Amino acid sequence: MVDVFSTPIVVMMILGAVGMALPVINVLRREQGSNTFYAAIAFGALAAAIAFVLHQLAMGYVSATDVLSGDVIADDMLGSFFAIAMLIVAVFTTISSFSYMRGKKYPAVYYSLILLSTIGMVMVAYSNDLVVLFVAWELMSIPTYVLVGFNKRDPASNEAAIKYFMFGALASAVIIYAISIAYGLTGTTDIGGVIAGLGAIDASLVPLALLSGGLFIAGFGFKMGLVPFHMWLPDTYEGSPPPVAALLAAGTKKAGFAAAIRIVVIGMAALSIDWSLALAIIAVMTMTVGNVAAIMQKSISRMLAYSSIGHAGYILIGLAVAPYSASALPGTLLHVLNHAVMKGAAFVAIAGLVVALAATHIEKLRGLGRRMPITAIGITVSLLALAGVPPLNGFWSKLVLFGAAIDAGQEVFWGPWLAIAGVLNSALSLAYYGWIIRKMYFEDEAKAPRVHEPRAVVAVMLFSIAFIVGLGVYPEPAIEFARSAAPLVGIMP
Amino acid sequence: MTNELVDFTLVSVALLCIGIYGLAVKRNALRMLFAVEIVINAANLNLVAFARFVPDSGGQTLALFSIAVAAAEVAVGLGLIIVAYRMYRDVDVAKFRTLRG
Repeated sequence: MVDVFSTPIVVMMILGAVGMALPVINVLRREQGSNTFYAAIAFGALAAAIAFVLHQLAMGYVSATDVLSGDVIADDMLGSFFAIAMLIVAVFTTISSFSYMRGKKYPAVYYSLILLSTIGMVMVAYSNDLVVLFVAWELMSIPTYVLVGFNKRDPASNEAAIKYFMFGALASAVIIYAISIAYGLTGTTDIGGVIAGLGAIDASLVPLALLSGGLFIAGFGFKMGLVPFHMWLPDTYEGSPPPVAALLAAGTKKAGFAAAIRIVVIGMAALSIDWSLALAIIAVMTMTVGNVAAIMQKSISRMLAYSSIGHAGYILIGLAVAPYSASALPGTLLHVLNHAVMKGAAFVAIAGLVVALAATHIEKLRGLGRRMPITAIGITVSLLALAGVPPLNGFWSKLVLFGAAIDAGQEVFWGPWLAIAGVLNSALSLAYYGWIIRKMYFEDEAKAPRVHEPRAVVAVMLFSIAFIVGLGVYPEPAIEFARSAAPLVGIMP
Repeated sequence: MTNELVDFTLVSVALLCIGIYGLAVKRNALRMLFAVEIVINAANLNLVAFARFVPDSGGQTLALFSIAVAAAEVAVGLGLIIVAYRMYRDVDVAKFRTLRG
């Protein structure tokens, strides 16, 4: 049974209480209120939630990952790992909103929606029952539809929100349809029960099980931005407020992977049907489409959106080879954490650009190294880490992921090819990241004046530079943590 | 008994196909919203029908949750569409073209 003081329940209570109190405070104060006030409250709640998750981990109260435990909400390492990544991203979003939301309307609602969406993400990571998973998924998604369209006088923001809403609602509908079939086949909504039940179904019903699995992948794939479900993603990331884009790219996307690890990967092993090749093909398509399209972009937020699609492909490598290599899921988790920080930092930097220069066009980045030195260093470090340059953290997670793919080559012929595709794509991505870095540091004819960097953005930049370089120089603790959090998947014969 | 279940499932699959067809073909935001609703209701029909045939009432619980959540989702979606209508005086998604790659 789930204890009332287990990690997910307490995190949900902290964030939920504060998230629902914020609009009430707004009404009681009978004024719009200052952005800083509400941001500080939201930041406090998120910091308390992170502190609690870390405390539970440090005290050893968190159980090892066990999908078959039968709990509705699993207080396990896998959930805690994702919860930390998502809470860090929510903190990034909140801090960058200190400067982005200044002078904008309805700050209380904005931070309340961020907190509610964060609860949804965290609960997706912890959920061990399809009912909880679905409700948490919707709790995560619905606030983000509003957040993307938060600049409601801006046609781009509204268009982004409508596209995101249409695809997101379809994704939810597809997921509930997949759940309904899985429930019909096994007669339970417990994920462990579903997986055990699917292993024992009649052979004539296997096509239905495949349909259910395929719909799950499609539904989660919409949020993860897998090709061919990625059409909404660049428009949405470009049109939404940049702090919200950070939340989407680094937060809700990872919730898709958390759910996929619990259901698809483990269910795949139980069904003893080989989906790996299908996932591998999607992975290669996703990273190639993302990276090739990123080269042609003129807006840095759109480029990062495509690069985010590319990274979904790298992470999917881990899911594809999970049945064949013990280091695949740890690699996946490590890259999820690293990508959350790298991409979160990059989008926060864009929020800083929008506040200080009101521009996201790449030509406007000229001379940024002199005009906004700390933001420029933050962008440089996070882009190099995204490309996987040693000794930054992105290098280690890619190394583990591609190593797992080569390792899987002993079982399946396409394993090493996945690794080669990943390396080629990383090289390709270095080209367009390098182009941005060149614009920032080596093209500075205009001698535009130095501009004030928003302090909140500088704080996030300093933290993420420390995180990226720190984990790059000393990656062992993160790798150990990822290894202890990854569920064991039956290695296929 | 089992044949009834097949009937329910066939209706539900038909609804799923109608919903996805609607999303793929229609360009009116409201019609697309209806199409999503049809898919969600196909799933609800499945859940309730299956709950009748398996010894577990979890399906009906989930169907109730799903109806409530879908209502919240539609409320948000309609809000976004109203904002778009104020700006464009239209709900044709093909006309929302500020963002190009």
